[in-house]
Amino acid sequence: MPSGLQARLDRLFNRHGDGRAICVAADHGYMSDVTANVVNIRQIVESVIAGGVDGILLSPGMAGRLAPLFQGRDGPALIVRADWMNMPRLGNANTANAVPQRLLWHEKIITAEQALALGATAITIYLFLGYSDRVEAAGIEVNARFVRECQRAGLPCIIEPLAVGGQVTGANTVEILTLGARMAVEIGADALKIPYTGDVESFRHLIEVAGVPVLVLGGARSDNERDALELYAEAQEAGAAGCLMGRNVTRSPNPAHMIEQLTGIAHRGWTVDDALRGEKWDFLRLKARPAACTGCNLCVTACVASHDDGGYGNHAARLRIEPGRRPGDHRVMFCTLCRKCIDVCPEDALRWHPQTGAVELLPERCNNCAKCVEICPTQVIIKGEHGVEFAPGATEGWVPTICDLCGGDPECARVCPTGAIYVADRPRFAP
Amino acid sequence: MHTSKTYRLREFVRPTDGRSLVVDASAGLSLGPLPGLERFEAAVRPVLPLVDGVVVSPGQARRLADRTRADAALLARATWTNALRGDDFVLPPAEINLIPLLSPADALDLGVSALVLDFLLGYEEHVEAACLRATVQLALEGSQAGIPLLVDVRPTGPRVVLYSKAVELGVSYALEGGADGVAVPWPGTDSFSTILKMAGETPVWVKVASDDDVQAALDAGAAGLWLGAEVFARPDPAGALSALGEQLHAPAGAQA
Repeated sequence: MPSGLQARLDRLFNRHGDGRAICVAADHGYMSDVTANVVNIRQIVESVIAGGVDGILLSPGMAGRLAPLFQGRDGPALIVRADWMNMPRLGNANTANAVPQRLLWHEKIITAEQALALGATAITIYLFLGYSDRVEAAGIEVNARFVRECQRAGLPCIIEPLAVGGQVTGANTVEILTLGARMAVEIGADALKIPYTGDVESFRHLIEVAGVPVLVLGGARSDNERDALELYAEAQEAGAAGCLMGRNVTRSPNPAHMIEQLTGIAHRGWTVDDALRGEKWDFLRLKARPAACTGCNLCVTACVASHDDGGYGNHAARLRIEPGRRPGDHRVMFCTLCRKCIDVCPEDALRWHPQTGAVELLPERCNNCAKCVEICPTQVIIKGEHGVEFAPGATEGWVPTICDLCGGDPECARVCPTGAIYVADRPRFAP
Repeated sequence: MHTSKTYRLREFVRPTDGRSLVVDASAGLSLGPLPGLERFEAAVRPVLPLVDGVVVSPGQARRLADRTRADAALLARATWTNALRGDDFVLPPAEINLIPLLSPADALDLGVSALVLDFLLGYEEHVEAACLRATVQLALEGSQAGIPLLVDVRPTGPRVVLYSKAVELGVSYALEGGADGVAVPWPGTDSFSTILKMAGETPVWVKVASDDDVQAALDAGAAGLWLGAEVFARPDPAGALSALGEQLHAPAGAQA
């Protein structure tokens, strides 16, 4: 492989040494009607760079205009949109379009050499499948020309196969995308940008038959950021080398935060839940099988006995059993790590314990406001009998008593005779 | 921005106030001798000291070569189109075309300060694609040559559904394509606000069709006014342009 091509592929995919890249597509103003993400493109680009994005896709004009933002060792890779199409504006009946288009039109706009002159690390180009034989053939010709230019220039060519048009049905979309992925690679793509096929297995197959790095695209903006994160996490599980997401990032209320979440999944091994929390948890948590609970309250007694809080009695336990009428109806109530107490605390007196992942109280900050006690949905934060120590040996008031997961080996789960309380998710927890 | 492009832009955007009065005298390319412009040099030379820039065709640019520092900069029309012709024109267009005429290298040879490109919206798909391709290519080549590219947005096709949104779309395409300035028809205050936000520091001229447009454009923050060939048909073109120039370049607060 030419050294220039390899260097640019590394710049895009190997900034973190893991072969993955979280990229943002910010080229919508080049093809769609004007929306907020088009008007505010500079602020959005600045925001995703602050979030640690690995690459940004821009039109040639914006690549020149925003060039200073890409400078420096930590600057993201610039990916330039080398072609143009009118797909987002298709449809005469779509009155939301200012100038509706009747025919899909796809053109090569710049050369690989011009993209290099703009400072591009890679270019992207569409490959439309399913619209018409003419569009497919023209797309093949344009893509082949680009690949030749890119190989001469040492510029990675990212081909974006899309299944669009009357030949596409819900039933054949995955097959067409897989076909497009393989065709793009046979033409000479160095990487792919492609929609998610909807499930891990079919996307894994697509990636396997492609044999080049695959960036998943995000599709239409979802109001639920979890959806976008789960889409990416599934694609990564299937073997994707990253993402090139557009509107899910650029139309997000906080693009930087979205990038932090995606890069957490890609580069720091976060789960989607970790990403939504903004923290990696390798820790344990308690789970329950209510049907197995006999209501014996041994867990409650063990909780009190295992802590020396200065008080005694089941009312001092950090979990409780809500009795039902018969075995199987009892409700096991414990800390679910929902973080509502942490969020509501006005003094930042609560935090995640860095070792156990449990909620930890910083007594010196607590002002006894009781907001954590009131907000706890399972009502397991109690007013402890041990007060705030304002001088050696002298205490006053009370402090919240919160489940500490017994430092990593919860007594309640250990003693439960039926396994109604058990410990889950502790893959790398070191006791 | 490229230093040479900055210098050339400042030949017709006054560095003192960032404003610019441009008159378009290039319509003869497509429409022939318009009223007031039958004798081109006699019509245009008197207004050269009164405006900041004059848009001309490549051929007429050569005839205005002997200008002084007091005269306006020349902006060369880089494309030809028959989209300006109406159904009542002697050759009514059955098919809209856009033909490139000049490259940035040609602009250097002509000694003009910028190229002006027509961006047509609302016609066949291939016309729009040709406009976008020309925008990107002239912008990229212009960056190397130091010739600014101004995009003249014309949402005049029959497919335009939402006029003000079409103007915004044209500006978006121009900026994404690399334009150094845009000229737009007055799209209304809200749309123009969006356009200014999108454009940032890129100058935006408003192609004024009436005196009401002038005041609205200036109130909304337009960097410049862009007048069509109709001004030459007025009884006193020089007087009209002189008054507009004074209104445009008046010190802050003086307009009130």
